[in-house]
Amino acid sequence: MGSTIVYGAISLVICVAYFLAVDHFLMDSQGLDFWYLFRK
Amino acid sequence: MGRVAGKKLLSIMALVAMVGLLLLPIAVSLPSLAIGADAPDAVKQEGEQKYEKGRDVYYKTEGLAIGAPAPKTVDGPKDYPRYNFESRVLLWFANQQHLYYGSFVLAVPIFCMVIEFMGVVTKDKAMAKRYDQLAYDFIKISLTAYSLTAILGGILIFTFLTLYPAFFGYLSSIFRPVMHIYALMFVAESGTLYIYYYGWDKMRDGFLKWIHLSMSVILNVIGTLLMFLANSWIGFMMSPAGVDEQGRFLGNIWHVIHTALWNPLNVHRILGNMAFGGGVVAAYAAYKFLASKTDEDRAHYDWMGYIAMALGVAFLIPLPFAGYWLMREVYAYRQQMGITLMGGLLAWLFIIQATMIGILFLSTNYYLWQALGRMRGAEKYQRYIKYLVFILCCGYLVFITPHTIVMTPAELKAMGGQQHPVLGNYGVMSAKNGGINVIITTTILSFVWYMRGNKVSTVSWSKFGNIFMGVFFACAYVNIIWLAIYGYYIPANVRVGLSVPQVATTLSCLFFMFPLNSAMMKGAKQMGAIEWGKISVRSQYALIMLATAFTWMMGLMGYIRSSVRLFWHVNEIMRDNSPWAYTHTVGFAANMISFNVLFFWVSILFVFWLGSLGMKKAPVPAKAGVPGGAPQPAAGH
Repeated sequence: MGSTIVYGAISLVICVAYFLAVDHFLMDSQGLDFWYLFRK
Repeated sequence: MGRVAGKKLLSIMALVAMVGLLLLPIAVSLPSLAIGADAPDAVKQEGEQKYEKGRDVYYKTEGLAIGAPAPKTVDGPKDYPRYNFESRVLLWFANQQHLYYGSFVLAVPIFCMVIEFMGVVTKDKAMAKRYDQLAYDFIKISLTAYSLTAILGGILIFTFLTLYPAFFGYLSSIFRPVMHIYALMFVAESGTLYIYYYGWDKMRDGFLKWIHLSMSVILNVIGTLLMFLANSWIGFMMSPAGVDEQGRFLGNIWHVIHTALWNPLNVHRILGNMAFGGGVVAAYAAYKFLASKTDEDRAHYDWMGYIAMALGVAFLIPLPFAGYWLMREVYAYRQQMGITLMGGLLAWLFIIQATMIGILFLSTNYYLWQALGRMRGAEKYQRYIKYLVFILCCGYLVFITPHTIVMTPAELKAMGGQQHPVLGNYGVMSAKNGGINVIITTTILSFVWYMRGNKVSTVSWSKFGNIFMGVFFACAYVNIIWLAIYGYYIPANVRVGLSVPQVATTLSCLFFMFPLNSAMMKGAKQMGAIEWGKISVRSQYALIMLATAFTWMMGLMGYIRSSVRLFWHVNEIMRDNSPWAYTHTVGFAANMISFNVLFFWVSILFVFWLGSLGMKKAPVPAKAGVPGGAPQPAAGH
């Protein structure tokens, strides 16, 4: 059970970081700001 | 020994001859390519005296207007000779049928190449034989269709010449060298195809097999180039280039070919053709499965249907993204054209298209879930299927929701406007991008389940792998839906970019989860062999549904792409002055597409029947096929 939580947490950190990076850099490559709403 | 060396020599000569045939059109066309920018100075000076200068409507470069202006047609027997019938409908029919068969005979040899290659590299001899037999079955189907494609091409040209002579005369004056290259490539394609098919048995082993495989590569290169050339004609009609505003050819044939929409059309069409070809072969296999009398036959055709479906869907998955790129380029070329397509006159056809795309993915998923039934150990996934159904249905319903609805004044008043207060929100691209990406991600997930259906991973990191895969898919869904919702809160110019990370999220699932799953399943424990042939009959109807939906959607998209020119033969260059230069009603178009689909399926059934006449039945073993055992080929060659 313990290892499941650890594996789940590690996976979650990797996946969230990966998808945020995808969102940020792919918007950036189009000259657009992914964080538009949060900066306003 | 001498005989083998002779065979090798002969096959190498055949291969060299094919490469020569492939290069021949280019060599023949070189002098004509020289006219224009790269022409010698003497020729240029002479030309400058004789011809006026013109400015390219797309590339904005200057050149000598060596071609005649686009004819200004008038409604009458000279420019538009006719029967007592709408000429456009006749042309629509001839064009669509030629396109269906052309797509089919382009796609199937690519499948053959892939399957034959799998047969050559696989170490398991029984599997290698099965792959080889399957590739042969595929090419056999396409051979008869190939003749029919050529006949339909002839009918199409005659229809153009007799019903639209002015337009076809202009188009062929612009594309003169391209049309000759096309014809020569067709000769090269035919020669290669016949050597490839009839040389199958003679070149089945060792070095000769590799030569045979190389022939399939050449065959497909020629086929793909043929399609690219044909695409340049429709690209020119939609987004002309290489001519001035009067339609005069400026001498640079590359500009005429390489129009704004040529590359997106090439990518979209090749993916579409592959998906369509896979669907048709899968339907053929399904039909043979349903008609099979023995377990061996059922096993063979079940396997064939699965391979064809998997190949077709492999190209279906990136197809919406290629379509998106095409639409983006249409908008970039002429914004008005994009609006006509997706927000104006033709928008309702896109709702029908969304419905068809959804049906394609639903059918694929349904087939995969049914296919889990032929694996022992796959029962563990059955209880989760209902959740996938729910996700798919939600994605589908969002994807097909129209922005506005056609209503009576009373209905309009009752609803408070053309847009439904709740459902209207799903009619925008932000929601639709989310919907389709959810559908595709779910299809990828179904494939992953299918791939691991009867296996249990034995790698030391399998627990982490499983958890990571689950979290990755969950995060992908969250990211897609989050981006769809986020799109409502930011301006349109920022929102439009969100589709790129959405697509990247879906493709990440495809490109990361498939290899991860394969790595986890390396040396996996098998719960039981795949019992080919032990699949529900319903699954085979799903395959037929898949193929029919492909066919219908191809007809629909072809109509939409063609209709967007509205009253132009060549957009903004040559006006269509025939009495049929108007857009048909959605109902008429749908009936016409359905007729084309029906005609294609009836005629392809005839092709299948013809193909079956030449089949020699393999001896049926007295003992029934052992479930999970390697099924014997149903036909010999």
